[in-house]
Amino acid sequence: MSRASGIRGQEPLYEVISQILRRNIESGRLPRGLVLIEGPIARVMLTSRAPVQAALRKLHEEGLIHRFRGRGYLVGQADLDPIRRPISEFQLDIPDRSRSALAIRGTWMRVYDQVEADVAACQVFGEFRLIETELADHLGVSRTVARDVLSRLNERGLIRKGASSHWLAGPLTAHVLREKYQLSAIVEPAALTLAADFIEPAEINKVRDQIRQGLTRESDAYEAAFQKHCLERAPNTALVEMIRNNRLLLSSVNEALNRLGLPADHVAVDQYRILFDLIGSRQISAAAEYLKEHLRLLADKNVARLKIVALVPEAEAIPEYLSPL
Amino acid sequence: MPIDLSVEHKLAAPPRVKRRTLRIIGTDVTLLESVRQMAMADLQFDIEYESLDFLTCQRRAATHPEHYDIYEQCFHNLDIVWHWGALQPIDTQRITEWGNIGDLSKLGGVSKYMRQGYGDAPVRKLYVQPDGVIGQQPMRYISMLPTAHNVDSFGFDRRVFGDEGPEGSSWAWLLDKRAKGRIAIVDEPAIGFFDAALAAEASGDLSFVDICNMTVDEIDNLMALLETLRQQGFFCDSWKSAQDAEALLHAEKVAAQSMWSPSYGNLGPMEEHFVESVPREGYRAWHGGASLARHLTGTKLGMAYEYLNWWLTGKAGAVMARQGYYMTVPENTRQYLTEDEWDYWYDGQIARSDLVGTSGQTVVRKGRRRAGGAYHQRVSRIALWNTVMDEYNYAARAWNRFISAVREGKP
Repeated sequence: MSRASGIRGQEPLYEVISQILRRNIESGRLPRGLVLIEGPIARVMLTSRAPVQAALRKLHEEGLIHRFRGRGYLVGQADLDPIRRPISEFQLDIPDRSRSALAIRGTWMRVYDQVEADVAACQVFGEFRLIETELADHLGVSRTVARDVLSRLNERGLIRKGASSHWLAGPLTAHVLREKYQLSAIVEPAALTLAADFIEPAEINKVRDQIRQGLTRESDAYEAAFQKHCLERAPNTALVEMIRNNRLLLSSVNEALNRLGLPADHVAVDQYRILFDLIGSRQISAAAEYLKEHLRLLADKNVARLKIVALVPEAEAIPEYLSPL
Repeated sequence: MPIDLSVEHKLAAPPRVKRRTLRIIGTDVTLLESVRQMAMADLQFDIEYESLDFLTCQRRAATHPEHYDIYEQCFHNLDIVWHWGALQPIDTQRITEWGNIGDLSKLGGVSKYMRQGYGDAPVRKLYVQPDGVIGQQPMRYISMLPTAHNVDSFGFDRRVFGDEGPEGSSWAWLLDKRAKGRIAIVDEPAIGFFDAALAAEASGDLSFVDICNMTVDEIDNLMALLETLRQQGFFCDSWKSAQDAEALLHAEKVAAQSMWSPSYGNLGPMEEHFVESVPREGYRAWHGGASLARHLTGTKLGMAYEYLNWWLTGKAGAVMARQGYYMTVPENTRQYLTEDEWDYWYDGQIARSDLVGTSGQTVVRKGRRRAGGAYHQRVSRIALWNTVMDEYNYAARAWNRFISAVREGKP
């Protein structure tokens, strides 16, 4: 009758995923030599990465897929030429039973964004404990789904396990903020340099036009464009992943501050214009230097913005599943 | 054809010119009725004052700039109000006396040999940099016109601590067990926090690498010390306004507490016992000023500049002096003070006559000398400035929890 009893009867999520993959490999729908990578599969299955990881490990043990000299697994033998195409192109055959199992689990995707925003935003108010059962009640989902949400938050560095293995978030202090910007200033210029030959000039010009025409005065849009079209072009997935996670908390906090009514930062927009102009004219080392200075200024500005939060009472913003420590 | 009487009436009525009004928000540090009356008489427009407590004022200034034209508070409040985008830069070319404003405001110290003190010295927040942030590189545009300022310490009961002696008192007295149970601290986190921090460092209990930019660990240590002392019953209360502080004094509840200058003129029966300290570690300084709301343009902006310029003409400075505050451009202030007043308040000389305060009551008796001496002597001994430090959000929340516990008298 209850949601919980329905869930309890289900097989683990990684089983559902490995069954789907096995079925599609055996039918030849996923060709031999295809490279399987966790992230894209997780997106197709509407899950976090952890169960995909477990499913791939299982298929590996079964000998259906193999490790090769690259990231991910190859369908079939390790000596095949790798085929790199997005898994979403293959129209996976997913039986109804699995599809409904995934759909239930996929609930977490629908609630995740709000939870992520809340958890990132609360950290400016101090340290909080997340309680799985209360999160489930708050969202109206099962504990399994709540656990998926928590594991995703953990993967993205927004929460951590405390000494007594409770989930903890925050506090976001000026020190943490400075550390994150310092890390950005070390890794992002390096990624930009590596990305130089992979950046698409047409994309850069499109952004330059947008800035010039003043389509939006929100610097967040240009920050996202810079990440997508420049930093994420670096041919080093570990580096790109590090940058993405490092920026995640910063951009969530930024959004939270914007929601408090802070005005748009016009100076930052001007800085993005210069940055994109430098990249667009292929002056990559100048752009990398400029990026460092831009990040230094952003750090100062955000430390100042964080002070403003002292004016905002906690009760206004915190959902109940987050309890202050 | 019927005559439209209402039109007739309108035409016949004398033209009603609505008097223009400038709206100012601030605190009771500078928003005094006598200042408002003088300004209105000189400026030919109405002035509305809205006087708020420190935290409300800062919050309102940051989040509701459309509700005021001019914001009067302190430089340390700018980190919040400026960054919220509530204010617009002031063009120093429209400030007549800009060239005569002293070095304490513009350079951070009265001479190059004097340390600027830790924290938010006004110069560090004064100039609007090309990227829109505020900093100390001199620029044509400024964030706040520097006006009233002073250096603060704490007050103590001589019956408990005796006289200061030649080496002065120490901030350590503010957490001294001789005053246990009779200590009160001002509740503003950018001010009271530093009274407590100076006391904790002076007593040797703690030390801070940069007292005005503490790390989270240093803040935790300070709050833990204060909480321990609170549980042992050291604090009797905290206060929000100078009047609250005076009430604690008159009720004989305190033997040592944070104190601001005007309160020393209202000691009443405690006059013989309660003394302004001259701490050997130096003073906690503050600097007030006035800023322009973001929305001002045209005529309103012109009126706002008139008001800012009026502040430096000396009349307001004389009122400030009578509650113990100094003004930038002291020479203008001097014109509106009697010789006795100037010599006592600015020059540190013995009062040759009884001196009156802002509302005409005697605040200084003949024969007294201002604690700490002359302007130059006092402002040369600044240990730190009221500050909104990097970890302010963290510190203010911890501080507010402590203050609530003191107020509620939790065990």
